Amino acid sequence: MTVLKEFLPKIWLLLAVFLVVSPAWAQGDAKSINPELLEKIRKSNAECFACHSEAGLKNPPLPGLDLAKLRETIRDDEVFKNSNHGKMECRQCHGQGYQAYPHAVGSKQLISPCEQCHAVQVMKAEMQFDNSVHAKNLKDKFTCSTCHDPHVALAAAKLGDPRKAAAQDNHMCLECHNSDLTFAKYAPADKKRPNIDKIHAWLPNTRLHWDAVRCVDCHTPVAKTLSHEIANKDKAERNCVTCHSTNTALATRLYRHVAKTEANTYGFANSALLNSIYVVGATRHPLLDWAMVGLVAATVAGVLGHGLVRIILAWRRNRSGR
Amino acid sequence: MSERIYLLPVWIRAWHWCNAVLILTLIVTGASLHFSDPNLPLLEFSRAASVHNVAGVALASLYGLFVVANIVSGNWWQYVPKPPGIGHRCMVQARYYAYGIFRGESHPYPPTREANFNALQALVYWFVMYILVPTVVATGLVFMNPEIAPERLFGLDGLLPVAVLHYLSGTIITLFVVAHIYLGTTGVTVTSLFKMMITGWHEH
Repeated sequence: MTVLKEFLPKIWLLLAVFLVVSPAWAQGDAKSINPELLEKIRKSNAECFACHSEAGLKNPPLPGLDLAKLRETIRDDEVFKNSNHGKMECRQCHGQGYQAYPHAVGSKQLISPCEQCHAVQVMKAEMQFDNSVHAKNLKDKFTCSTCHDPHVALAAAKLGDPRKAAAQDNHMCLECHNSDLTFAKYAPADKKRPNIDKIHAWLPNTRLHWDAVRCVDCHTPVAKTLSHEIANKDKAERNCVTCHSTNTALATRLYRHVAKTEANTYGFANSALLNSIYVVGATRHPLLDWAMVGLVAATVAGVLGHGLVRIILAWRRNRSGR
Repeated sequence: MSERIYLLPVWIRAWHWCNAVLILTLIVTGASLHFSDPNLPLLEFSRAASVHNVAGVALASLYGLFVVANIVSGNWWQYVPKPPGIGHRCMVQARYYAYGIFRGESHPYPPTREANFNALQALVYWFVMYILVPTVVATGLVFMNPEIAPERLFGLDGLLPVAVLHYLSGTIITLFVVAHIYLGTTGVTVTSLFKMMITGWHEH
C-alpha cells in the first residue's frame, strides 16, 4: 500500500502529461517531421545560435551583451543538430520568453521539464534513481540534465558504434568524477573526489575498458538492460566473467544494438561484438576451441599411453631377467 | 657404473627453470582467461589477467636475455638442425621413440658436448625457440598494448588475428610442454634427465 501511495501521484502525472503534450512529443519525432517544418525550425534555431554559439561569442550580433554570461550558455550548433533533440525548436523547451532579446524576466524558470515529453522514461528513471548512490547523497542537487545534456545526447541505437556510446555516456560520469571543480559543486563539503584511476587499479587495462564499455555497465545492476540505479564501488559489478564469457552481458547491454545483427561471422561466438571489440573469453570460436582442447587431450593421452606401455614392457623385461 | 659428462652451464639451467615456471604460469592463467566460465572458474579473472601480464612481460624479457646469451656463448649453434643426413637421423630417433624405447634399446644419439640435442630435438627446439616463443611473445605484447594492432581487419577488430595467433601458438607450446616433460623421463633412469637440468651433469 505504501508503494502504491508513493507512486499514485506519479501515475496521475503520467496520464495528465500524455493528454497534454502528445503534439509536442510528435514534433520531436525525427521520422514524422516534414521538410518545411524542419526548415522553419532550423531558421528559428539559427536565431538562437546567432548568439549562443562560439561564433556568436566571438562576433556578438547585438551590442551590449554580457559576454561572461553568454559564455555559460553557448552550444555547438552541429552537435545539437545531430542530437536526439536536433529536430526540435529551441523554444519548444525554453519557452516563448526567449522569443525576443532581452529575454523575458523569469524565462529560465519556465523551461519545460523533461517529463513534459519523456513522462514514461522519467517516471521509470526516477524509481531507479531513488535507489542510486546519487539519490542517497545528492537527491536535491540532481536533475536529468545534471548528467544528460539535452543539447548533446544521442541514443546509443542512433550512434551505432558502441564505442561512441561509451565515449558519450562515460563523459557524463567523468565530467564530475574526473574533475575536482565539478565534483565539489555537487558532493558534500567533506567529501574529497577519489582518484578515478586509483579506485579502478584492480581492473586490468582500465583505460581500455573505459574506451569500450560504459561506467554504468558495471555500476548498475547487471540483470537490467538499462538503469539509473547507479551503484557505488561496494555494489558495482566486479565479476569480470559477467562480460568475459560466451554468455556475455555485453550482448544484452551496451552492445545489444549491434548484437541484433549477429551473423556468426567466420564461426565466432558473439561475432557481432567483433565489429567493435575483441573480448577475451567472449570472442571464441567453438570449433577452434574443440580442436585445441582435443590436441592437448590427445597429447596427454598419448604420453600417458606411451609411458604405460614402457612401464609394462620394462616390468616384463625385468621379470624375464633380460 | 654409468658415464657422465658436464653438459649444461649454470646460465642455461637457470634460464630453463625460469622459463619453465613462467610458461606453466602462462598456460594456466591463459587457459583460465580464454575459457572463462562463471560456472567453472579456474582462477579469478582479474587475478589471472594480472598474473598473465606480469609473467608475460617476464617471459619476453627472459627471451631477450636468452637471445643475447645464446649469441655471446655460441649456444645458438646447438639449435641449428645440421645436414647432411638430418632426415635419416630424425627417422632413427622417431623409430627409437616408437619402438626401440619399448625394447629397452639405448638412445641412438646420446648427447655430447658438441651436440647437446639429437636431430629431432634440434628441429623441434629450433621451431619452438625461434618461431613459436617469439610469436607468442610478440602477439602477447600487442595484446597488452592493443593500440599497436591495426584498428580493423576484414571488417572486424584488428586485435582478432593477433588474439587467434596468440591462442594457437600458446596451445602448440602447451603440446610441446606436455611432450617435453614426458620425454624428460626417458633418460637412463626416469629422473636422470631432470637431475641433469639441475646439476648440469648428463648420465649415459
